[in-house]
Amino acid sequence: MIRLENITKYYPSALGHQYIFKNVSFDIPSGHNIAILGSNGAGKSTLFRMLAGSEYPNKGRIITDLHLSWPVALTTGIHGQMTGAENARFIGMINGVADLDTYVKRVRHFAELGPKFDLPVMTYSSGMKPRLAFACSIGIDFDVYLIDEVTSVGDANFRNKARQALTQKSKNANVIMVSHEMDELRHFCDSAIVLHQGQLTFYNDLEQGIAQYQAL
Amino acid sequence: MTTIIKRNNWAIWRDVIFALFVREIRTSFNDKLGLAWAVVSPLSFIFILSFLRGRMSGADTHTIPTFEFMMYGMLFIQLFLDTFMNSSNSIKKNKALFAFRQVQPISSVLATALFYLLVKIAVYIIILIIMYFIGMDFRVDDPLTILVCGGCLWIISFSLGLTVAIIQCYIPEVAKVQTILVRPLFFISAVFFSLLDIPKEYWHYLDWNPILHSIELTRHAAYSSYSAEGVSEFYLFTTTLVMLFFSMSIYHISWKQAISR
Repeated sequence: MIRLENITKYYPSALGHQYIFKNVSFDIPSGHNIAILGSNGAGKSTLFRMLAGSEYPNKGRIITDLHLSWPVALTTGIHGQMTGAENARFIGMINGVADLDTYVKRVRHFAELGPKFDLPVMTYSSGMKPRLAFACSIGIDFDVYLIDEVTSVGDANFRNKARQALTQKSKNANVIMVSHEMDELRHFCDSAIVLHQGQLTFYNDLEQGIAQYQAL
Repeated sequence: MTTIIKRNNWAIWRDVIFALFVREIRTSFNDKLGLAWAVVSPLSFIFILSFLRGRMSGADTHTIPTFEFMMYGMLFIQLFLDTFMNSSNSIKKNKALFAFRQVQPISSVLATALFYLLVKIAVYIIILIIMYFIGMDFRVDDPLTILVCGGCLWIISFSLGLTVAIIQCYIPEVAKVQTILVRPLFFISAVFFSLLDIPKEYWHYLDWNPILHSIELTRHAAYSSYSAEGVSEFYLFTTTLVMLFFSMSIYHISWKQAISR
């Protein structure tokens, strides 16, 4: 279970504080693959970043004993001047992977970048960098994967592969997913959280959530 | 499957700092000169300036060889400037990495500061070796005090760097102002002169500066004949402690918000 306790989150702006959440308390139940639904600007990504520990709420806290991933396929942590292998090693080190060599080998195998894996990331084409990032996060076993529009990674071939890998993962682990593709959500998720005007509502049945979201 | 070690907080900290440290070395020296440049560039700078000064003003300055007089000044001011400037920019530079929950801003500041400390220690040792081989006379009377003074100066630079790095997250303009602000430090920290060269009634304009204290005390530690007047170890230690405490407090209350903006 992930517990949000009295979360208040705002971003300072020229027009004063832009509140995303005001004093929200919510329990995200575990054991579900959850789709997060909400219109643009409802705070999906903010919620995501807070769950991932990339950002912190202004007030309140998030408590969990689960091992949550960082937003899968997020490329910002990848350094252009380091090679793919070095980047994978760096990410492995930070996350406390016991056997780094095997981990790097697995990333190499999954990313299918060929010899490019040993070249600096800045020489990669735009589709290759997310592939590396995706391979890095799928190579680590998390309890919950946070997925933000992941299936847009790479070409059709890789997209299939990513989808399969994630489906495989979702048998042992859970996913929390943001996407505007309802088919994508239907494939991975069984329940939904609808985000509307700073309030979260949990729907045990995904279809019910989608119906609610489309009625907004 | 990948096994994740369950680490306690200290182990996570250690691993992250090490990873950032390696990354820092790997990415800041990416050309053919590589890591060597980190040592060669300050080394040549110190050598050229110290040698010129030695030629101009004779062999000895206040009983110690002019070359060493300058060398300690240059080495210490560089230790301060490099550590301070780079650690104060490190939070902004590594911002993308805070997406990983394990990476906290202080780890990146600490990794940067450690890197520059090691570089300066390497430069110091290389200078001593070179001096030994070209047969220059040199003495290191009290190596422990030199280590302590250098350590204090490093902690001061790290604390200041951390404070400014946090402030930069709120007020980005600080980065521009700070380059102007540190420039005079080169001239008021007893790099080229000793406090003894200044008339006593003007000392109070200069002796607030802990860098000056640490440089003068180090010269005295290297050559006990050099008299370190008007400076005190007590002042250096107190400033170090106060600044460290101050920066830690600021960091503790604001780091979460600083990276969430």
